[in-house]
Amino acid sequence: MALNDVATTPPTPATKKAANQRSSGTSRLHARERRIGLAFIAVPLVGFTIFTLYPLIFSVYASLTQWNGLGPMNFIGLGNYERLLQDEYFHKALFNTFYLMIGIPIGLILSLLLALAMNRKMRGTTFFRTIYYIPVISSLAAIAIMWQWAYNGDFGLINQTLAIFGIDGPNWLENTSTVKPAIILMTVWKGLGYSMLLYLAAIQSVPASLYEAAALDGAGALRKFRSITLPMVRPVTFFLVVTSIIGGAQVFIEINIMTPDGGPQFSSATIVWYIWQKAFDNLQMGYAASMSIVLGLIVFVITAIQFRLNARNSFSIE
Amino acid sequence: MKKSRLIHVGAAFLTATLALTACAGGGNADDDSKKLTFMFRGGEDEKKAYEAVIAQYEKDTGVDVEVIVTTADDYSTKLKATITGRQVPDVFYIAPGEVQSFVNSGVIMDITEHVEGSDVVNLDNIWQYGVDSYRYDGTVQGQGAIYAMPKDVGPFSMGYNKTMFEEAGIDIPDPDQPYTWDEWLDIAKKLTKDNDGDGELDQWGTGLNITWNLQSFVWSNGGDWLSEDGKTVTVDTPEFAEALQFMADVENKHGVTPSTAQAQTLDTYQRWMKGEIGFFPVGPWDVSTYQTLDFDWDLMPYPVGSTGEPATWIGTLGIAASATTEHPDEAIDLLLYLTANEEGQQALVDANIQIPNLIDVAEEWAAEEGAVPANRKEFLDVVQTYGRALPANRTYNGEWYDELFTNIQPVLDGDMTAEEYLKEAQPKMQSFLDAANADAEMSSVN
Repeated sequence: MALNDVATTPPTPATKKAANQRSSGTSRLHARERRIGLAFIAVPLVGFTIFTLYPLIFSVYASLTQWNGLGPMNFIGLGNYERLLQDEYFHKALFNTFYLMIGIPIGLILSLLLALAMNRKMRGTTFFRTIYYIPVISSLAAIAIMWQWAYNGDFGLINQTLAIFGIDGPNWLENTSTVKPAIILMTVWKGLGYSMLLYLAAIQSVPASLYEAAALDGAGALRKFRSITLPMVRPVTFFLVVTSIIGGAQVFIEINIMTPDGGPQFSSATIVWYIWQKAFDNLQMGYAASMSIVLGLIVFVITAIQFRLNARNSFSIE
Repeated sequence: MKKSRLIHVGAAFLTATLALTACAGGGNADDDSKKLTFMFRGGEDEKKAYEAVIAQYEKDTGVDVEVIVTTADDYSTKLKATITGRQVPDVFYIAPGEVQSFVNSGVIMDITEHVEGSDVVNLDNIWQYGVDSYRYDGTVQGQGAIYAMPKDVGPFSMGYNKTMFEEAGIDIPDPDQPYTWDEWLDIAKKLTKDNDGDGELDQWGTGLNITWNLQSFVWSNGGDWLSEDGKTVTVDTPEFAEALQFMADVENKHGVTPSTAQAQTLDTYQRWMKGEIGFFPVGPWDVSTYQTLDFDWDLMPYPVGSTGEPATWIGTLGIAASATTEHPDEAIDLLLYLTANEEGQQALVDANIQIPNLIDVAEEWAAEEGAVPANRKEFLDVVQTYGRALPANRTYNGEWYDELFTNIQPVLDGDMTAEEYLKEAQPKMQSFLDAANADAEMSSVN
């Protein structure tokens, strides 16, 4: 009703005047619009406060307490942080988490190669694109269970395949030396389709004129790839590196399903898995909160460094 | 005009926030009919049995019971979520290891008076071990006020494949005369063989799991995890080391179990059910599944170490009532119905998922002719004479206990002796235990 009024009222001198004064921000119309605008902003802002800011502040406080998640919180200052400096399992979980990130560069290189292959005009690319993308949209839990079977020492698909070539495969998930590579392989496979699709889109949006100009200058395929394709897809690479590291720092589901006890001798336990175990198995919500804060800081610092590096290396095509 | 629009926007905004808060605070609607929620966990058989018992209870009392079932793995997480969300079910399962923290945090109700004053419950007729598991006086668990009633007790007994014994021409174990470790090992060696002649073993004497069987060997050898007062970790004693070494040797040196790799591929539980294993532990919860095995099996006492006495652990789960329930009387009534009512118990026992909670019913049950297993009495012997609580049950958390098993694989692989390993593990376990005890103290001050 009120809105209709505005729409149907022909411009009067008053509103014209208001429009002229828009830059000063003193008109009644402008003030009203501002208020409405604020109300619109308030909705996500309230959501942010309730669901992000408050839990964040709360968990900072919780990290300074001895708290079992049920009862009262006892303030103990930095006690939890002192403990995690000495907690060898925490260090091991940190190490494992970063170890598993080896899969990130491998995945990026593979997906770029795949994207290049998909970019060629040949039959069946749509089919292969679908094949590679299926793992991305599948449930991670289902995939983890499937790979757990594939890795089974005696009956697993992988060892049965190896056996055809006369190789006696290990019991992948039960060996300290093979469990991490096994999980890396799975995560690379799972993420391939997603990075490939982003790369494909980036490659296809490189202006053809650049390649034509390079060809006139006598550049070969390799040269074109190095000097045109690679720099042009840099923003995608940057985006993928940042999001994969943030995601990689939070690996949990595949670990919890494939190695529910943290792997042989804790060799596949990740940070988030350890946080979860402390919080829900050992009633140490306060300690778990302190580890989450440290994890958050680590991710923040790494991402900040990446942004700086990216800004410094901003490129142009010569 | 301006005002009306602002009101519109404001109203929309308010509605949105109200909807949000309503989500958080909902579910407390109270109408006239009394409604309880009961949360528990279990497999299909257990679920069906409990649903039938609850349906009977609803019919008898007119109280409406909403049942929430989870899988065993999810239970603890979900229960904790209901507690932090202040939506605690009125009646729910609780493990003995949770009693201290739940009592300290005011989650569960002290039901001592109701149990002692009830006409349904005769405490003398319920396994003392079960009830004591849920007693807590504020410092020591096992004595003082009652906070839950045992839903069951789960004696972790030892079974054997009778058919395999007969085929090998070995006398079946005497239920009253336990084997020594050496006698037991000898038989296990005789049972380990290659039946189909392909050069690979396909039948083994036993297949034990360190996490669930070490207790029996340690206790029977005179060792233990904790000192009397629960303040010192005592895994670095020679008795303890000898027991752990024996278990490691059984697999490694004597080769009477599937190898670690074989066990991980197809766990020994599956191999036992396929009839490939001679001695294997059996709990009451296994009995319904084992009814359909295509070989004969029975129960026997555990082999004995230097004390000459068999030992094993008894599991238990309890049923507690929320301290904040709106209908305390009905909640306690339901709790007692599920744990101590004769008809309720009978239905659960008939489903083959537990041994009877009531001693007189249990004795009748054990004497039943033609039952499988024939030696049901072994279960009762465990409960009454040689079973104990798992070591972590009486501590504030199980971190110290889990620590022993996290890095134990080198011992089982023979890369490290038990003695070396336990020397290393003791200080780490001790510091976890100290931390747990400090946590317990801090949370009980309030």
